[in-house]
Amino acid sequence: MNNDSLLFPSPLIPPSRPEIIQSLIDGVDRYNPDNVSILEEYLAVQLQNEEYDLMANLAILKLYQFNPHLVNEIVINNILVKALTAIPNPDFNLCLYLLQEGALNDENVLKLITLQQLLEQARYQEFWDTFEKDEAYREIASEAIGFENAIRKVILTAICMTYHSISADLLRSYLNFTNDDDEFESFIQSRELIIKDNVVTIPTNYDNEAKPTVIRENIKFEQLKEKEPKIKVVKVVAINKI
Amino acid sequence: MDQLNRFENFHDFDFGLKMVYQEGYEDIDLAEEDIDLLANEFTGVDEDLEEGALQDQMQLQLMLQQQYAQEIPEVVKNFIIYFHRNILENNVYELHGIYENSFNRLTEKFYAKTPWPEADYIAPMVNDDQVFLTLYRELYYRHIYSKLSPTIEHRFHSYENYCDLFNFILNSDGPVSLELPNQWLWDIIDEFIYQFQSFCNYRNRLKNKTDEEIALLRENIQVWSCYSVLNVLYSLITKSRITEQLLVSKLGGDMIEAAGEYGSRPLYKMLGYFSIIGLLRVHCLLGDYTLALKMMDNIELNKKALFARVTACHVTTYYYVGFAYMMMRRYADAIRAFSHILVFIARTKMYHTRSYQFDQINKKGDQMYALLAICIALCPTRLDESIHTHLKEKYGDHSSKMQRGLYTTMGIDKLAAFLEIEAEELRTQLLIVKQKSRQQKWTSGTLLEGEYVTTSDLDFCLKQDMIHIAESKVGRRYGDWFLRNINKFQDILAGMNLRS
Repeated sequence: MNNDSLLFPSPLIPPSRPEIIQSLIDGVDRYNPDNVSILEEYLAVQLQNEEYDLMANLAILKLYQFNPHLVNEIVINNILVKALTAIPNPDFNLCLYLLQEGALNDENVLKLITLQQLLEQARYQEFWDTFEKDEAYREIASEAIGFENAIRKVILTAICMTYHSISADLLRSYLNFTNDDDEFESFIQSRELIIKDNVVTIPTNYDNEAKPTVIRENIKFEQLKEKEPKIKVVKVVAINKI
Repeated sequence: MDQLNRFENFHDFDFGLKMVYQEGYEDIDLAEEDIDLLANEFTGVDEDLEEGALQDQMQLQLMLQQQYAQEIPEVVKNFIIYFHRNILENNVYELHGIYENSFNRLTEKFYAKTPWPEADYIAPMVNDDQVFLTLYRELYYRHIYSKLSPTIEHRFHSYENYCDLFNFILNSDGPVSLELPNQWLWDIIDEFIYQFQSFCNYRNRLKNKTDEEIALLRENIQVWSCYSVLNVLYSLITKSRITEQLLVSKLGGDMIEAAGEYGSRPLYKMLGYFSIIGLLRVHCLLGDYTLALKMMDNIELNKKALFARVTACHVTTYYYVGFAYMMMRRYADAIRAFSHILVFIARTKMYHTRSYQFDQINKKGDQMYALLAICIALCPTRLDESIHTHLKEKYGDHSSKMQRGLYTTMGIDKLAAFLEIEAEELRTQLLIVKQKSRQQKWTSGTLLEGEYVTTSDLDFCLKQDMIHIAESKVGRRYGDWFLRNINKFQDILAGMNLRS
């Protein structure tokens, strides 16, 4: 069994980040409004290649914060869509903090907040209902290639953390694979889940183990050292007594 | 307000911050000429006046100055002269006393409800020493901000004065020889950011403003702008080469080479260092919590760190680190930061009761207890005993203890019935609990790093419809028991020794 949680924070330096972006966001160049287009193009690459770079995207929002005339709503949209795929990491909120107050009344932003709430509240069936029924929702996420599968991964991670075994029907509905069994099976096999008799078994991991533990004090001998000289004296005295 | 124009060059310390977005942005050389031109503005503007009228005016001004100077109490006059002498002599030890004690004592006695004398009135006492007058104005405006309510002119002029001060420090020929106590250097950065924050609040309250005030604000958008504040802080960091210095002290290397001509002087080094903490704060104010913590990449949070040399800076550092963590939902890390500094404040209380910052530190402490209460509610954690007691006294009503489970296994239906909710709803709730009991937590490296760990004592898993529950318990603590007994035996043996 792996000793690490199934969850991992959005990487501070994703392997796919180009050198030019790295040096840009590391220095004061990140404040130069001229650089916004470089970062926006990089976001386009992320959308296309199913990559994700939180720090670079925050740098775009930072430039928007200081230079409201640069704001591009579609870019904000796409950044938030990408952040949804990082739940339960706090990325979505970290992005919202940088938006102007007015942006929170934007219709698309409100829709994205709805999706975030549903995902964070683990209301997965409701999430898919909302997403599928309204054309406008799908439109928002249309530029992010692989969005639906990315969300499925978020959901599957939560399930793998919580369950040892789960009814296949329930899992299918969480993942919105109601019609397509082949796709469902190949999707869950990527996580080494086994399906048998309509029950899906999940291998034991750090998060779904739930075994009682006892937290013990771990005192090193050195920590008692302050006492040590006195203890030595005590010993000598004791020997003399004998 | 024309005078403010001369600070446009202020946006252009040569350290990479490009202010291209601003119109009317000039070359350094041009801007520097402007300063020279404007320094003579008084005579320049009055050129078409009659010679005699000019003299009259100057005489009148002189008379007013003298008249006002006579109203300055003798003890204050002596203080200013003494103050000035110590600035000239770079006598940091005396300046420390002047800054921390004398100035505040005189404030209480003479200027509790009025401003200190304007710099122009004391100018003759200090031979018109512009550097001293700039430093004096720093205190003068700070006093107005803290004891009185600043007008729009005060706000503008104080900004202008900070520009003067930072221009002097950053743009003189070579490093300046000025030396100031660390406490004051910290307060300069701290106050600079405070006034920036205060100005932003002020500007946003449009209600009771006159048309004239609104016009002034509109004409002077660069005053207290985010860019200029960031520019100062980043410029101080670059000039002092503090990042390079911190890297050398962490990884080894040649410190003198790393520090360079400017950074080897305490004034630059400390201003650079405090600017890093300043940026931590500014980014928090701007809602950019990741960038805030990123500023701390080269600073390790331990007692040996430089920030610990100035108590107010120490408290501020932990406050904003904790706050940023909290906003990133890293409650365990936030709790660690808040408890650390709250323990520190509690233990050192007796040392800073007399400090002029005692009230401020206590206020910050109270705020942190409130934040801690929020974090504890979101992520129940064992706390340091004294912190826990104090928190219970203050926020006991607000926080309720988490219920511990009695069962080790239980059916979903049964628990749902207990809770009087639908089984499906319970499944959802359990999925939420699971994810909320995992948190990114720092173990090593920079403050932004960390891995997901369990932060709750109670964990569970679902096997289809059966909930399996497990609890982490704290084992018996032997440490205390050993220590107590070691002490006891020592006492016994000491007693025996006495008798024998």
